Amino acid sequence: MARITAGVATSHVPLLGVGIDQGKMDDPYFKPIYEGYEWSKKWIAEEKPDVIILVYNDHASAFDMNLIPTFAIGCADEFQPADEGWGPRPVPPVNNHADMAWHIAQSLILDEFDMTIINKMDVDHGLTVPLSLLFGQPDAWPVKVIPLAVNVVTYPPPSGNRCWMLGEAIARAVESFDEDLNVQIWGTGGMSHQLQGPRAGLINAEWDQKFLDDLTADPERLRHIPHIEYLRETGSEGIEMVMWLIMRGALGPMIKERHRHFHVPASNTAVGHIVLEKET
Amino acid sequence: MTQDIHEYLAEFDDIPGTRVYTTKRARAGYWLNQFAMSLMKAENREKWLADEKAYLEDWPMTDEQKQAVLDRDYNRLLDLGGNIYFLAKIFSTDGLSFVQAVSTMSGMSEEDYKAMMMAGGRSPEGMRSIKEGR
Repeated sequence: MARITAGVATSHVPLLGVGIDQGKMDDPYFKPIYEGYEWSKKWIAEEKPDVIILVYNDHASAFDMNLIPTFAIGCADEFQPADEGWGPRPVPPVNNHADMAWHIAQSLILDEFDMTIINKMDVDHGLTVPLSLLFGQPDAWPVKVIPLAVNVVTYPPPSGNRCWMLGEAIARAVESFDEDLNVQIWGTGGMSHQLQGPRAGLINAEWDQKFLDDLTADPERLRHIPHIEYLRETGSEGIEMVMWLIMRGALGPMIKERHRHFHVPASNTAVGHIVLEKET
Repeated sequence: MTQDIHEYLAEFDDIPGTRVYTTKRARAGYWLNQFAMSLMKAENREKWLADEKAYLEDWPMTDEQKQAVLDRDYNRLLDLGGNIYFLAKIFSTDGLSFVQAVSTMSGMSEEDYKAMMMAGGRSPEGMRSIKEGR
């Protein structure tokens, strides 16, 4: 049987992809950011997950204003890196575990989560930057990836509680997949940042650190943070953190924090990263 | 727990210097954002750069939206229904990074904005609520 063993959360700032693609890892601006991922790179090389369910949001790449799915699951065999206006990132295509993706899709719908199923889709920095941060620059990604895209652009995005419940349903779906697989779930985006208007550049390190603390200390609090609090405290784009709650909801009550990293700034954003392991 | 949609939306107007991308803005900005999205294609970028006004003629946007695009007035574009991830296609075509474009909305010079980010970003103090002044 497939089982979820760990959760990873990380920001997916596009600049962090640029830094890797252009070989700027040792540049003084980037170095302290990437150093925080060294532990995780060693960890994941030992963990060798078979499948990652990667929760992210599309940034006007695959989805324009014509289609705005709240929760969409990628079910094709392969996804290409998107051309976001300056050419696609020089990263490998993303290979899906399509049987498992379809299984999760049908299980979630039966479990009353009305998923959008998507086949033809390019994946943007929201999905590829986290892979680069954890796996570096391989010729092929050493893991199958199931993309799970969440609308956090057009309001209202799903509530934190709804995201948490989706995570729980994903865990049930994984457990009922009849193949022996080591599965991780990743939540990406955040932490505090605002990319628009006169308040642009807002960062709230104190709030972000508390959020990281409470992923283990008080996840019930995180589950019920209203949208207005994300907006006031973490900037207009901090709402991406609801995607971390899908990851957290999927892990269940018994977890251990293994690693944490926090750095300001990357571009306009506070970078946060955490590794959580499920205790068996 | 069901939330009242009117109360939910009303709170957004109490956040200083922020335009939350609501369905109302999404409706008003539909063609503006779809125009911006068209710049994802290299051949469209060429046409756009060759003659911006002529390119805009093909899009059913309002005159105000067209003028704000030509002026690269990003705060105005947010008011007129633009979304930052779509507007990014316009400033990327101009060769601007997110930091450069975002700084133009903050009313700060690029240098001052970058210095603020390096020093830990804009503090949330006094930026949370207009009514409550916190």
